[in-house]
Amino acid sequence: MNDRVTRRSFFLTAGAAASLIAADSDYPGKNIDFIIPKAPGGGFDNLVRVIAPALEKYLPHKVNVVPDNIPAGGGGKGIGQLYRAKPDGYTIGAIDIPGSFILQERQGGAGFDLNKITWLCSMGKPEYFCLGVGANSPLKSLDDLRALSKTRPVKFTSSGPEGTAYGATVIGTKLLGIRTQLITGYKGSSDFVVGAIRGDGDAVVAPVTSLRPMLQSKTIRVLASFEPKGTFPGVPDAAALGKPELGQILLERLVGAPPGLPAGIKAILSSALNKAMADPQTVSLAKKFEVEMASSSPEQAMARIRENAAFFAKWKSSLMG
Amino acid sequence: MLHLWLSGIGGLLQARELMFLALGMAMGLFFGAIPGLGGATALALLTPLTYGLDPFTALALAGGVMGAVPMGGSITAILLNAPGSAPSAATCLDGHPLAQQGKAGLALGAAASANAIGGIIGTISVLAVLPIAKELVLLFGPPELFLLAVLGLIVVATASRGKMLRGLIAGVFGLMISFIGYNDVTGVLRFTAGVAYLWDGVHLVPALIGLFAVAEMINLSVKGGSITKDAKAVAITSMTSGLLETFRHWKTVVRGSLIGTVVGAIPGVGGTVASFLSYSLTVQASKDPESFGKGNIEGVIAPEAAINAKDCSCLIPTLAFGIPGGVEMAVFMGLLVLHGLQPGPLMLIDHQVEIYGLIWALTGSCVLASFLGLFLARPLSNLTLIDSKILVPTVMSVALVGSYAVDRNIGNVLVTAIFGILGYVMIRFDYPRLTMVIALVLGAAAERNFHQTTMMSDGNLSIYLHRNVCLVLLAGIAALLAAPLFRGWRMKQPPAAVTAGHPR
Repeated sequence: MNDRVTRRSFFLTAGAAASLIAADSDYPGKNIDFIIPKAPGGGFDNLVRVIAPALEKYLPHKVNVVPDNIPAGGGGKGIGQLYRAKPDGYTIGAIDIPGSFILQERQGGAGFDLNKITWLCSMGKPEYFCLGVGANSPLKSLDDLRALSKTRPVKFTSSGPEGTAYGATVIGTKLLGIRTQLITGYKGSSDFVVGAIRGDGDAVVAPVTSLRPMLQSKTIRVLASFEPKGTFPGVPDAAALGKPELGQILLERLVGAPPGLPAGIKAILSSALNKAMADPQTVSLAKKFEVEMASSSPEQAMARIRENAAFFAKWKSSLMG
Repeated sequence: MLHLWLSGIGGLLQARELMFLALGMAMGLFFGAIPGLGGATALALLTPLTYGLDPFTALALAGGVMGAVPMGGSITAILLNAPGSAPSAATCLDGHPLAQQGKAGLALGAAASANAIGGIIGTISVLAVLPIAKELVLLFGPPELFLLAVLGLIVVATASRGKMLRGLIAGVFGLMISFIGYNDVTGVLRFTAGVAYLWDGVHLVPALIGLFAVAEMINLSVKGGSITKDAKAVAITSMTSGLLETFRHWKTVVRGSLIGTVVGAIPGVGGTVASFLSYSLTVQASKDPESFGKGNIEGVIAPEAAINAKDCSCLIPTLAFGIPGGVEMAVFMGLLVLHGLQPGPLMLIDHQVEIYGLIWALTGSCVLASFLGLFLARPLSNLTLIDSKILVPTVMSVALVGSYAVDRNIGNVLVTAIFGILGYVMIRFDYPRLTMVIALVLGAAAERNFHQTTMMSDGNLSIYLHRNVCLVLLAGIAALLAAPLFRGWRMKQPPAAVTAGHPR
């Protein structure tokens, strides 16, 4: 009896495995949607558009990978759409962390759980933030900002209250002891950085990659870098500022798929994504945007989620206030 | 400077580049003419295919597409009341009534020539201001953008001429719809009724397709027959008559082109504002404002000149700071990125030859597409003679499929259908659609920029008096509000006193 059951379960398992393998070997059989829950034009969008054609090259069958910007609801709509999509490998998405944790918390009804998403890999190395002011600003140093904050809150231009840049501004300025008021509502990093250059606010906290080109064109002045080891000559970094925690404020871009993605498809996608990111053309294009490519496994991506969740939990009260 | 311009032209005048420019133009004309598709879809389809091309050739192709889209959009806006893209909706307002009168050829000829001249004026303006592009973009912050939106909203009153109450009701309704969705400033969802589709508000293009194309087709099917019954008038249309009309109204062309250039250069504003603002200000400046909406040729020339002039100048915020003025520019930025060209201040310094090549490609395509439009004006006019039994189902199908194609969302089709019925009700009960569209386009921008201005100034409204551009815009608003009062006062004066120049 036991024998018979074993044989039956063996055949059932083998059959199921064979059908899965057959399904996986046909994958992909149609175009893949690559959801970008951000407006077109920012660093996030750039990176997906650089990776998408290379990803087509490394998938087992020739299909198109179609970038799809769904920025509504601070990105919540795009992530929600990814979360609810059929877990068949034809919908993947790029998600920014820790902004999406704030989003999940604020939009309780948004209908996604970052811990349940099938994480595939990281998209480039995490990015540090820095603090800058317009090139014509009278504020020349962090001390000037601190002095100003004694008379009134320093105004920072930023995204909506659910963006990673918003989180970075709140946490970074708290660590630096600057009283802050945020001017929100800008659509993407290009928009709020230009807002600061224009003088809408006093200063801006943005990813290093967003501010470096502006620094080179002398439209912005960087006053502090949150990098553990600074890359801006003459600008104090996290160590020099005596605030090593600033180095933990990172912009991470992870690629995920809906919960319940079959293991075979997950492996195909993860491998193709990593190969696409190592492709020489991707690496050279990404370098032009100051992004360093790096491969990572789904497990490493999941580990980053856990670490970020812990970091978010620590600052939750400030971010949700 | 001159050598850079010439390098740009030289790069473009290669067999390969010209071939791709012509291909882009043909695609732009076709995609522009199909409601809902537009330049963004054409560019999105072409972008992966440019992967193997060198950046200059890819830019020639993209320039070809973007330069020709407005002409394509005008064709269907005039003939079928179906705007190919949102900015072309302004052309429907007088273009389609002309088609109904059997003057489609005249309208198409005028649109084509206004297109070409607008494009050329836009190019000249952009070439002149490109060296100071950064400074120009930085002139417009939230206070200026708020006042610009107010300027546009005030035009609602102008556009409601003769039916003020109905115009205001339609305008308020448009404003209410524009507030649906996610508020970028506060991070709060409003009036979405739990429907995820509404998180980013009511999508503009499907709404406009419904409001104009579908509403018109419902109206036509109720009335029966064809768009025009005047076959004789259609037959005598010549391409030169439209061309001459454009030259006769040169002031409207220049005004439209300058409005297009300025509005295009403002980050994040987009072509719809340019075309409607140009239309409305032309109505305001006209000695015969009552004739607009009933088939005044100036109502075609004004938005067409603005749309093409805007096409060139909206490259400024896109290239200088990476802020796209609309969906088409956003997709175009994706193409730039794919070729390693990062929009930003450095691009204006490091890639000048490519930028000038792109500007010439845009202009070349715009002029070529306009010539093609002129030659096609007469044969295309015959579309207005097709019986509604054939025309209505065809246009309805194209409109609904096009609406779905905007971002492959079935919700768009529903929006188009709802706005189609709404548009028909508005036609039936004589409510102006223009005022609703202006409010729909400007409402959210006005609100966001007002919020941001309030945060910038801690609620102190004097901020509007301390900025030079704001003062100019405030003066424009005051002039717009005073003009009807002044006109009314003049009309009440005895004719002799007015002509003598002594009104009192």
